[in-house]
Amino acid sequence: MPVVDVDPDELRQLVGTDKDDDELREDMFALGLEFEGWTEDDEFQLEFAPDRLDRLSVEGIARSLRYQYGTDRGVYIPNTNTAEWTIEVDGPPAERPYVTGAVVRGLEFDERSLESLIQIQEKLHATMGRQRAKGAIGVHDLVALKGTAGTGGEKTIRYTSMDPDEERFVPLESEDGMTPREVTESHHMGSQYADLVADFEEYPAIYDDIGLFSFPPVINGRRTEVSEDSRDLLIEMTGTDQWTVDHMCNIVCYALSARGGTVERVTVDYTEDTPGEYAGQTLDRPDFSVKTKTVAHERIESIIGVEFDSGTVLDSLERAGLDGEFDEDAETYEVEIPPYRVDVIHPLDVIDDIGRAYGFNNLEPTYPDVSTVGGRHERSRLEDATRDTLVGLGFEDLLNFHMISTEENYDRLGVEAGTDVLGGGDPVTIREPYSEAYEILRTWALPSLLLVLENNTHREYPQHLSEIGLAAQLDEGENTGVTEHQTVAGVLADTEASYEDARGRLQALAQAFDVELATPPTEHPTFISGRTAEVVLDGESAGVIGEVHPKVLVEHDLELPVAAFEFELDALQ
Amino acid sequence: MQLPDAQVAVLRTADADTDRPITELAEEAGLKPETATGAALALEEEGLLAVSEQTEQTTTLTDEGREYLENGLPELRLYEAALDAGADEDAVSLGQLLGDAGLDGPAVDIALANFARKGYGAVDSGDVSANPDAEPDNDAELNALEALDAGESVEDENLLDQLESRGLVDRQESTIRLVSLSQDGVTALMEGVEVAETVGQVTPDLITSGEWEDVEFAEYNVEAEAEEPSHGKEHILRQTANRVKDVLVGMGFQEMEGPHVDAQFWINDCLFMPQDHPARTHWDQFDLESPDEIRELPDELVERVRSAHLEGVGPDGEGYHSPWEESVAKSLDLRGHTTSLSMRHLSGYAKGDLEPPERYFSVEKVYRNDTLDPTHLLEFFQIEGWVLAEDLSARDLMGTFTEFYEQFGITDLDFKPHYNPYTEPSFELFGTHPETGEIVEVGNSGIFRAEVLEPLGVEADVMAWGLSLERLLMLMYGFEDIRDVHGTLCDLELLRDVEVVY
Repeated sequence: MPVVDVDPDELRQLVGTDKDDDELREDMFALGLEFEGWTEDDEFQLEFAPDRLDRLSVEGIARSLRYQYGTDRGVYIPNTNTAEWTIEVDGPPAERPYVTGAVVRGLEFDERSLESLIQIQEKLHATMGRQRAKGAIGVHDLVALKGTAGTGGEKTIRYTSMDPDEERFVPLESEDGMTPREVTESHHMGSQYADLVADFEEYPAIYDDIGLFSFPPVINGRRTEVSEDSRDLLIEMTGTDQWTVDHMCNIVCYALSARGGTVERVTVDYTEDTPGEYAGQTLDRPDFSVKTKTVAHERIESIIGVEFDSGTVLDSLERAGLDGEFDEDAETYEVEIPPYRVDVIHPLDVIDDIGRAYGFNNLEPTYPDVSTVGGRHERSRLEDATRDTLVGLGFEDLLNFHMISTEENYDRLGVEAGTDVLGGGDPVTIREPYSEAYEILRTWALPSLLLVLENNTHREYPQHLSEIGLAAQLDEGENTGVTEHQTVAGVLADTEASYEDARGRLQALAQAFDVELATPPTEHPTFISGRTAEVVLDGESAGVIGEVHPKVLVEHDLELPVAAFEFELDALQ
Repeated sequence: MQLPDAQVAVLRTADADTDRPITELAEEAGLKPETATGAALALEEEGLLAVSEQTEQTTTLTDEGREYLENGLPELRLYEAALDAGADEDAVSLGQLLGDAGLDGPAVDIALANFARKGYGAVDSGDVSANPDAEPDNDAELNALEALDAGESVEDENLLDQLESRGLVDRQESTIRLVSLSQDGVTALMEGVEVAETVGQVTPDLITSGEWEDVEFAEYNVEAEAEEPSHGKEHILRQTANRVKDVLVGMGFQEMEGPHVDAQFWINDCLFMPQDHPARTHWDQFDLESPDEIRELPDELVERVRSAHLEGVGPDGEGYHSPWEESVAKSLDLRGHTTSLSMRHLSGYAKGDLEPPERYFSVEKVYRNDTLDPTHLLEFFQIEGWVLAEDLSARDLMGTFTEFYEQFGITDLDFKPHYNPYTEPSFELFGTHPETGEIVEVGNSGIFRAEVLEPLGVEADVMAWGLSLERLLMLMYGFEDIRDVHGTLCDLELLRDVEVVY
């Protein structure tokens, strides 16, 4: 979940309140912003669920608090000035065809507000921007940009492609000119994002009259770097989805507007033969248009479970920063959603906002007055009955992981993958496992029980252990390509453990379930030859029983005999 | 007459003419006092002995009393120091005397209080004067302590009260039993009593032969610890799972099951998780290398789910601005939650179409690519439950979960509005810990979104919740490292000794 650092003084100033830190923390908790602790700079660390991305900065949190306190009500749209600048989109890489932008003028920065601007970019990159893959933000000092006077006199920058090895520029936090490829290979910030363009033939590039000033999504040029002296900013965002970059842009513009900046629109001019779905179109950005959702009164009541009059609903909407109009005939509300809200994608999301503004915690719980018949699944009942019987026979019931290493599952028991002995099936394997200890699903359970014996040699004997759990192996006949079954395994580790002890217990188990047990001799690499048998239940081969071979015992640091069995649970049915 | 061993011994030791304490008889007969008492009472029942009771007072020295006996009463030590310093003529400063007498701490107050009371002198403004006529050698309290220590009795009640109030002696009343032979007892002895035969192990032969009628059973030390048999026990987590299952079945829930290896379609796409959601990278879920893809998904459902992701549902639904590929939906994972089972059931794919109302649950394994630590496992049990009914509200959800958690002693549920991609509204559940009273997170819940239900063909409402079984176990039974319990690193001794769950 995202974490945002917020300076409490700045928050108080933006909200216009003199509440103390504790009161603020409490009010923010009600919004779903949880106080995690203090930063080194005495800022709140706030954690929240990743739906309200408009709260990724102090300005957004302040806006939400103003609604909560009733200082603001309803939808707010900042005024915007007519575009002076144009972003001409002319052949950027097809993998990253979209761009948007805005100009914000009249800002005054200090250290903290500049940090806040950097933070909102980072947080948007981490969430909506999907680590910059889907959308990346560049913020530039407008003073450092020089646009060509076009036919209409407007100033133009150009989003296009460049050869990774031909172009040169000085990136942020660097003294020297580098090629874009050098940036991805050796620049300490640029190399973090090298993967994003690794497969690109040409790299994304933004030029003004002077030359290359931004290499999205990797790094900006040093020339246009924003400082505390910057007053006017150009914001550009590139990405793989126009809606996403437009809304990231809206969130940034709202934050800067709350800082006193004036938003000026930018014309995004997609040329005729540029990639993407906007070729030949001209967009006016940022897009601060409101969208509407039609929400049925009856649905609000049924979801929240309370009867409302329309006045209460309209009031709740305004306190949530929305606006609504009630249609008495249709008994619906036309609800306006401001352009920074990226989470409202269905009328249900509006109902949730109404519930939060009304106060879910004010609701009286009710037990739903519908009756149903409960019951256990047959397999789970069979498993329980088997477990009870095993416990009655003196087995300690165990619970092991289904994931295991190849070595444990096969090698240490002398079994080879791809053989037709019990446990020899081919394994379900995990892609790029973190740990070798958990790289496959076990094909049988005896390896887990032997591991438990190995880890408990200092504990009292006898150790009679059993487990009923999952085993799985590849099977082309299944839709998933895997057969999964519940397996029953038991080990008897004590100084006098013998085949007969295991056979006796298995016999008792078979008898309890009224199935006929036969144990014709067989061979299995885990067991001593001549003391190994197939477990045949009601005529079906179901598993194996025997005395574990000393080479397997020594491998597991065991110094006493172990008799064991394993078979499929379903055979007891 | 045949009597048990102990009774014979008591009878033979008792006297017809004198009442003798049982303790005395026991000692003479070589019996434990409680054995002799038991025997005497049995004999009284038979009319062979007369038993009477007498109250006796015993006075014993406390540790403090014993200490003063050894080191002197504090007031006497003060008096002696005062005499040595010449306080019988001129008052001497208290501070000096305390040092000389080696008194400090609470002993100072004790010395001062008793010094004046017993006429050893006076203390005025921190100066001590000693009474030259006092007789420390005749100190009645000291003499009484000495007498009691020597086992002699002290008759002066006032003196004893005084010593008791100073905490130097303990006075206790005890009942002693006195016994004497009755006439019948004398007769029995004259006619002759003999010891009945006692047996140890009860044998089949003893029972079938009828011999048991003539024997006495030797007394065992019934309080001694015995050797414990080795025994099995159901795993603590299974016990907890079964407890949860019992509660849910009692609340009308039916159990679900389904595959551990499943397509992302069932695990994520049906749940309206966008395909570029951060939690869908292999950093969070176990993606499979082999097998890597499910063969078939239900085509129509795939189409409806794709459309929900890309276009939303209903006239005002928008869907996500994220790519959606069937190949991603088909790729196989170890399930990260058992909500995949809920999707298989709600879609009708598992058991055919469901008609509301229905309640379903599972307590099954899920897999998360997390870091293994004392509270996180790579695989754990998820309790998953949902209710399908017409017009479910947030209040119904709250009522259901309040009922469920109360069964585990978790009360005062708080429903904190939350965000999940698949539910709206969503609530994180917080409750009060039954032992510590802390507020702890106990689950995540919500009402499934239209984008989840409509593609599945569900027209009623569904509310659902999830919780890790291990978390419930740790909350309820105070385990600190879940690895001791679950997995091959488990400690057999801990599993053997752990308290059962019911």
